[in-house]
Amino acid sequence: MIAKLFLAAVFLPLYPLSIPQNALVMRMKSPWLRAILLLVWPQIGVAVLQAAPADISNGLVIWAMASAGFYALRLLTVRDLGLWASMLASSALALVWGLAANGADVWSLRLFALSFSLPAALLVLLAGQLTLRFGAAYSGLYGGLADSQPRLAALLVSSVLAAIATPLFPGFFGMLTLLHTLDWGFDFGLLLVWLLWSWAGFLLLQGFLFGPVRQAARPDLSGRATAGFVFLLVVLVLAGLALRGGGL
Amino acid sequence: MKLALGQQLKVRTMVQMAGEPIPNFWPMRTFIHHNPLFGLEHMAFADAVAEGQRLFHARGYLPRAQYQRYLSDNRIDRTELSARIRQFLAGEPAIGDLDLPAVLQALMTACPESLVDRLQLADADDVLASLSGQAPPVSDEDTMVQARRLLAETHDIEPLYVSLDRLFGSEIGITLDELVVKSCLDFFDEGQSSWQMPGREKGFYHAWSAVARHNLRLFIRGMHISNILEQDDSPEGVISYVMHELGVPEDDWMAWFTRELTRLHGWSGFIRWRSTAKHYYWGRRYPADLVDYLAVRLVLGLALLREHAQRRRLPGTVGELRDFVNAHPEQAWLRMELYGGSVLPEMAHAVEDAIDSRNDVRARKLFPDYLARKRAHEAGFVAARLTRLAGQAGCAKSLMRLDMAGMDRLLGLLKRFEAAEGSIWLQAHEANYRQRLLAGIDLGTTPAREKRPFVQAMFCIDVRSERIRRHLEHLGDYQTYGIAGFFGVPASFVGLDKGSETHLAPVVVTPKNLVLELSIARHADDEAFVSVLEQVFHDLKASVLSPFVTVEAIGLLFGLDMFGKSLAPLAYSQWRQRLQPERLDSRLLLDKLSREQAESIIRVLQRAMIVKAVNRELGIGREHLTDEIVRELRETALENREGSTGFARQFGLDATAEQHFIERLRRVYHINSGDARIQLEQLGRIGYTLDEQVRFVSTALRSIGLTSGFSRFVLLTGHGSTSENNPYESALDCGACGGNHGVVSARLLAQIANRTSVRERLRQNGIAIDDDVWFVPAFHNTTTDEIRLFDLDLLPPGHLVYIERLMNGLSAASRLSAAERLRTLDYNDAPAADPARAYRDARRNAMDWSQVRPEWGLSGNAAFVIGRRHVTGHLDLQGRVFLHSYNWQEDSKARLLENILTGPLVVGQWINMEHYFSAVDNEHYGSGSKVYHNVAGRFGVMTGNLSDLRTGLPSQTVLKNGAPYHEPLRLLTLIEAPFEHARRAVEGIVKVRNLVYNGWIRMVIADPQTGIFHLFEDGSWQQQRVGATRPASVEKEFTA
Repeated sequence: MIAKLFLAAVFLPLYPLSIPQNALVMRMKSPWLRAILLLVWPQIGVAVLQAAPADISNGLVIWAMASAGFYALRLLTVRDLGLWASMLASSALALVWGLAANGADVWSLRLFALSFSLPAALLVLLAGQLTLRFGAAYSGLYGGLADSQPRLAALLVSSVLAAIATPLFPGFFGMLTLLHTLDWGFDFGLLLVWLLWSWAGFLLLQGFLFGPVRQAARPDLSGRATAGFVFLLVVLVLAGLALRGGGL
Repeated sequence: MKLALGQQLKVRTMVQMAGEPIPNFWPMRTFIHHNPLFGLEHMAFADAVAEGQRLFHARGYLPRAQYQRYLSDNRIDRTELSARIRQFLAGEPAIGDLDLPAVLQALMTACPESLVDRLQLADADDVLASLSGQAPPVSDEDTMVQARRLLAETHDIEPLYVSLDRLFGSEIGITLDELVVKSCLDFFDEGQSSWQMPGREKGFYHAWSAVARHNLRLFIRGMHISNILEQDDSPEGVISYVMHELGVPEDDWMAWFTRELTRLHGWSGFIRWRSTAKHYYWGRRYPADLVDYLAVRLVLGLALLREHAQRRRLPGTVGELRDFVNAHPEQAWLRMELYGGSVLPEMAHAVEDAIDSRNDVRARKLFPDYLARKRAHEAGFVAARLTRLAGQAGCAKSLMRLDMAGMDRLLGLLKRFEAAEGSIWLQAHEANYRQRLLAGIDLGTTPAREKRPFVQAMFCIDVRSERIRRHLEHLGDYQTYGIAGFFGVPASFVGLDKGSETHLAPVVVTPKNLVLELSIARHADDEAFVSVLEQVFHDLKASVLSPFVTVEAIGLLFGLDMFGKSLAPLAYSQWRQRLQPERLDSRLLLDKLSREQAESIIRVLQRAMIVKAVNRELGIGREHLTDEIVRELRETALENREGSTGFARQFGLDATAEQHFIERLRRVYHINSGDARIQLEQLGRIGYTLDEQVRFVSTALRSIGLTSGFSRFVLLTGHGSTSENNPYESALDCGACGGNHGVVSARLLAQIANRTSVRERLRQNGIAIDDDVWFVPAFHNTTTDEIRLFDLDLLPPGHLVYIERLMNGLSAASRLSAAERLRTLDYNDAPAADPARAYRDARRNAMDWSQVRPEWGLSGNAAFVIGRRHVTGHLDLQGRVFLHSYNWQEDSKARLLENILTGPLVVGQWINMEHYFSAVDNEHYGSGSKVYHNVAGRFGVMTGNLSDLRTGLPSQTVLKNGAPYHEPLRLLTLIEAPFEHARRAVEGIVKVRNLVYNGWIRMVIADPQTGIFHLFEDGSWQQQRVGATRPASVEKEFTA
């Protein structure tokens, strides 16, 4: 049982067992592989957690909250978009433990994990597009995306908003469900984590979107790629509303 | 502690000299167009631009891509471009068998971005290796040496926090700027804030330091200001203390000060101007200068540096920083790369990790790898672009045949060329415009007229007058002239109900004489209900407490205003104007007063003040006072008599109360001999002598060549603008009137010119003005194109029959001009609208408070023509040319020409340079988008709630859809006069000569006797015949 819980803590990352996930994301160069990893990794965790027979203790939830808080704090200083997405996923996915401890069914756990890992996957794909154009997806290195690459900038903003669980995106409903489920003491910690995500998201976007353009002109995202991203975001919103919003 | 007087003076002198490159900034109520590089005008244009780049981090030319767009639009002369490239290559040796002119031409016309500006570490060897597809050779030692050299270069003399920010990403500079701006806003406020800084009369530094000592917020941040302020009482002493504390050698102080002052050059420029503006009310009341400002800045800076040194263990002095860099060169380099924004993107994460680990070993380990990759990156980038460039120039094989020495020379040549490229583009751009203008110039004689014209109209030289003049001339028998909008009458004007003087003259002229506006008939109860209501609303808005109590009560009224202005601006504004009281008829007091008259006026004023004082202090109305009582009180207050007054006896005042009242009359109401003397001196400034009045009219008429054949109507048309919610409104007004409406100057000259005594003297001087000639002041509203006539009540009855024809003509010209102008304002470049509709739309523009571009103003200005109207009368100059009428035959000694060059031309050059630099770098030299502007202290604007004062023109004035609407060209000045006549005048005025010789003005003299254009080009006068495309360089005449 402990082995299974340990394994679950690797896939539903609890610090320091979360290190492999982030290391793997950073090691992979292909954005698609990164995205797949971010999508599949927590689902393995949920499956392992379900296979573990024992109840989840309060101690594990505290560990999960601390882990989420740690990564939320770390996000404030991370400027690499790929790493930022991975760490945000680490912070958010640790919260699955909170839901699981309060007896949520496997379907709810899978949706909760997906509502955070999907925006993170979108972000690493966008990071790939930025790397293609500028050599790296690094906040603060080249400003003015809002002017020079309006499509990429708009998608980046939408994906970050989805990732930090702003209203209409499924993460938002997931967080409300979690707030509703947890004790008030945990709620306080959860709100703090949420606040830190927003702050980190704002800092990240500020470094990408505003300020003078420091790089030579690069082509914006193609219409087809933009449509693909928009489609995914719309699906995310609709799915969130249908599957999670309606459940409130 | 107190710094010795000698040292204080030394510091003061250094600060003043350090502030020389900073251009003055005038309050926005009277926006003065100025050259942002005014302090560098002693340098050649290209050198000043480079210095401006160093000081203000601003670009002096457009980006290459924009010039390429001009080239494809045929706005740049290709021949000139090729000629300039050949000129650049004249002294350069050949490089292999490369076709260098073709390479440079391809670089300019086909390569959108700079080629060698990012070449820091890579050398010719590396580029050659990259060209042949190999990795750059390994030479760690050389690269390290190169890196160290670059590191040393970047820490030239600059404030310590700038170096720290670049090395540690500490953002001390941003925090410091915010604190300084807050301090400035507190002190310099001119009534916008409800609560002001206490003790402002003591001066900026002393008022600020008194508050800062008790500033809890600074203390909580860990900034111990008091410790620094205790070191010396004077700002000079504190400056000296801070510089010693930072360990800056005294030889470097001035350069350091300049960097500090240019950091917020808007505020520095405002404070610099304010400290020298003797007439400026706020400056006199709350004094401040650059020494105060620098002291405040340095104290806050030192406190911040100490706080960072303590909390983040950053170097706190110049010496400590040097030690850090010497001890950790690898880390310092990597830090500079990361925080300076030049880090290789793919290595940014690794570099940041190494720096954050605070482990010097990691930085040392990463350093060689980083340098090698950066070298390879640079070499690869340049090699790829060189290959493409050589391909475009048709010499790809020649490039591949280059050896290392050849490549080295090529890279050096390209670096030098890219540094000079902006100037080459600019000259080719200017050549294109010059050729187009010169091709249309008509130097033939003016045909004689059979009869006098119906109207002669003088307009300001402003480029906006050109359109309406053209339409007016086209419509009928109108003859127009261009003259500086103050009509040559410098006046300090005190308007009706105004308490302060407004200078109506170009900013280079300080008027000595005062002109008062007096109402014809006025009653004490004339103040309209609406005016009172507006005052009440204004007070409510400014009150601290009113938001808590008035929103529900009167918020709806403001809502009405908002909806009216937003949904139907024109109709709403017309409705509101109907509520306003009629403006009272007035006359200008412009005659010198005799001593008796002046004394009589003072007596009248004193008596009025006594009546007011009696009412205010004792509640006794005028009906209870006799003239004798008032006279007795006045005599007593002036100490011309002693003893008890009849007033005290009549109203039962005891001796103490009487004495107290008399004292208050002397102190509060200024009824004393000292003040009377000052008032007498002030009254001595009022008006002009008859000689002066005759001289004004004579000079104005002679300078434009109008000395005979006067029409029945001579219009003197001043101009101004009207717009809503526009802090830049005065930037659209008349520059020759100091950024004010020009109608007062027009009324002034008209009133003088219509006087019989003046005309008699003019006749003796050879200017015969018939009795039926009437000078009529008019106002040209440049936002709506409306022309309104003034002082029509003075018009002789015989003229009234013609007035309808005149009004109709003016009105038609207004509509045609509006139709032409509105097309350029329209975002879609729609075809010409119906004139009547365009006129209505233009008026709506003027009333629309959401309109960020009510008119283009002087945007587009490109040339200044001094000559007869005949020279340009047949051309459509598209509102881009200043037109000053001038007839050299009326000016044998060229004195009038000198006047034009010294005043109007210099003002025109300021306007031109303001537009030039605002267009080439709107963020630094301009003021960015109006959308984010907030009014600061009622004298300037800031971007957002805290920023430097924005000094230049907003993007909406010079840019359209992100690209320049204003084509940035230096002012092409054309003088129509014999060459020697004009050259003597140009070269006889040091200021103008320097502007021409240093390339701030492009000068052409069009000689009507020979038909030859004489251009000042490349340091000498060169000839060009009418119809030729380039000046003949062989025909040099005089070398500068």
